[in-house]
Amino acid sequence: MSDVIVIGGGPAGLAGAIACAKSGLNVSVVDEFIKPGGRLLGQLHREPSGEWWNGIKESERLHQEARKLSVDIRCGVSVYNLEKENQLWNVYTNQGTLTAPFVLVATGAAEYPIPLPGWTLPGVMSIGAAQVMTNVHRVQVGKKGVIIGANILAFAILNELQLAGITVDRIVLPERNQISQTAGEPEEVMKSLLNAAHLAPSPFLRFGSRFMRRDWIRKVGLNFYPKNGVKINGTPLQLRKAAVEIIGKDHVEGVRLADIDANGTIIAGSETIYEADFVCIAGGLYPLAELTAIAGCPFQYIPELGGHVPHHSETMETPLKGLFVAGNITGIESGKIAMAQGTTAGLSIAKHAGKGAGTIDEQLQQALKNVRTVRRHAAIQFNPEIDSGRSRMNQLWEDLYATSIEQ
Amino acid sequence: MANMGDIVICRCEEVTYGQLQATAEKHNCTARELKLRTRAGMGFCGGRTCRPSLDRILESVTPAIAPGEIPLKYQPPIRPVTFGTVGENL
Ligand SMILES: Cc1cc2nc3c(=O)[nH]c(=O)nc-3n(C[C@H](O)[C@H](O)[C@H](O)COP(=O)(O)OP(=O)(O)OC[C@H]3O[C@@H](n4cnc5c(N)ncnc54)[C@H](O)[C@@H]3O)c2cc1C
Ligand code: FES
Repeated sequence: MSDVIVIGGGPAGLAGAIACAKSGLNVSVVDEFIKPGGRLLGQLHREPSGEWWNGIKESERLHQEARKLSVDIRCGVSVYNLEKENQLWNVYTNQGTLTAPFVLVATGAAEYPIPLPGWTLPGVMSIGAAQVMTNVHRVQVGKKGVIIGANILAFAILNELQLAGITVDRIVLPERNQISQTAGEPEEVMKSLLNAAHLAPSPFLRFGSRFMRRDWIRKVGLNFYPKNGVKINGTPLQLRKAAVEIIGKDHVEGVRLADIDANGTIIAGSETIYEADFVCIAGGLYPLAELTAIAGCPFQYIPELGGHVPHHSETMETPLKGLFVAGNITGIESGKIAMAQGTTAGLSIAKHAGKGAGTIDEQLQQALKNVRTVRRHAAIQFNPEIDSGRSRMNQLWEDLYATSIEQ
Repeated sequence: MANMGDIVICRCEEVTYGQLQATAEKHNCTARELKLRTRAGMGFCGGRTCRPSLDRILESVTPAIAPGEIPLKYQPPIRPVTFGTVGENL
């Protein structure tokens, strides 16, 4: 029997497994994908320092390190249930049940959908699927595509598609409705892009960020927003166009776009069809927390963290004894932060298991400090209000659990 | 928006926005009842694709969901498994 079962072999899970193993614990990692690395595998971008962040290399490095420490890594294994019995956690998988006193759930994130007419046609995919096909499986997703949804994830993956020589014709917004909500309102989208302006892919937005902080200037800015969009590395970002339908018989043939005003209202008679053979839907990310939910962990809705997240402390414990979390399941952030959180969770588990005599508290403090440092220097920030989201969860933990545990 | 009602929300079970709205109105449903009546969220993907949309539709159907609550409860198994696999664990 292992001391620790890690569910999810992405950056958080692997870093957690490494920290546990270094502290002398016996660790198993299970992941349902064909190889370890999680969402790291698809990532390829340039840091502000000019250095390349190559997710495949990072995954290999983590994988090697874990193997050197004799971590047992099983791929192609799906966990479908998680339950506590007689002080032990039962991890139910499609290949049998594993049992351990400690479980680290590091299942990452999933994508928000943007339903629109025609989105079930072959050739329509989530932006994350395009990333995996391009960078992991090396399959060309199409010849000429349209991205629906303007956010940081879309820009990061646009860049990766461009690097792979795939033409993305334009980025447009979804039509505003009850489901797309603010993702369909140019003004709101502009606001969120400006908040992340230091990362903005176009000089227009970078310049704008200083200039357009005030509401009225932003409105004026949107009114002057070039009708054909501003170019991101050659691909126009069209904040004043919305996708109303994906067209095609057996496969995507095009997208029907309409002009919209600053609030996302469609301007009648402005519809035009643009040809495309693939469409990527970029709705953003939410924490994939199913397993902690069925295990009985309480949740809180914190939009800055991406949605419903399991209650957890800064040291990554949940209110359920022996159950820990790390990475995007606790809030949507970049790969490096997931890794730092994984290390924290691993050390936290070691501490609860009575390992690391004498030095463990210091190591844990160091790991926490590292999470904050990495967060401050993050090249990709999915939500500009991430700090306030993290503080809310920490406060909630203090209020609900901290005192009772100390007593 | 002309054809919002025709948009497929749950892809696995092919449930449209219109069907969800009509069912919610007719039966004055709770979240769980809406799921059971339409099968939205009960398909192969376990709701990973449609859950966020369902949550937003539910906001208007069953208002005032507390921020500490998940609108639609999660149930095991959260991945498709064979009866054999589940049976072994009983
Ligand atoms: C589509 C997409 C694109 C992204 N692009 C970027 C980017 O370009 N740059 C960036 O910094 N960040 C990006 N991110 C954010 C990314 O989530 C983090 O960078 C980082 O990978 C999170 O690490 P993690 O370990 O928490 O989760 P992940 O890396 O997502 O790893 C989770 C792992 O858990 C496994 N898993 C989940 N559920 C189960 C189960 N029930 N049973 C077994 N295994 C399971 C999955 O197979 C996966 O390997 C992206 C995220 C997504 C979803
Ligand atoms: S899309 Fe609804 S269950 Fe899969």
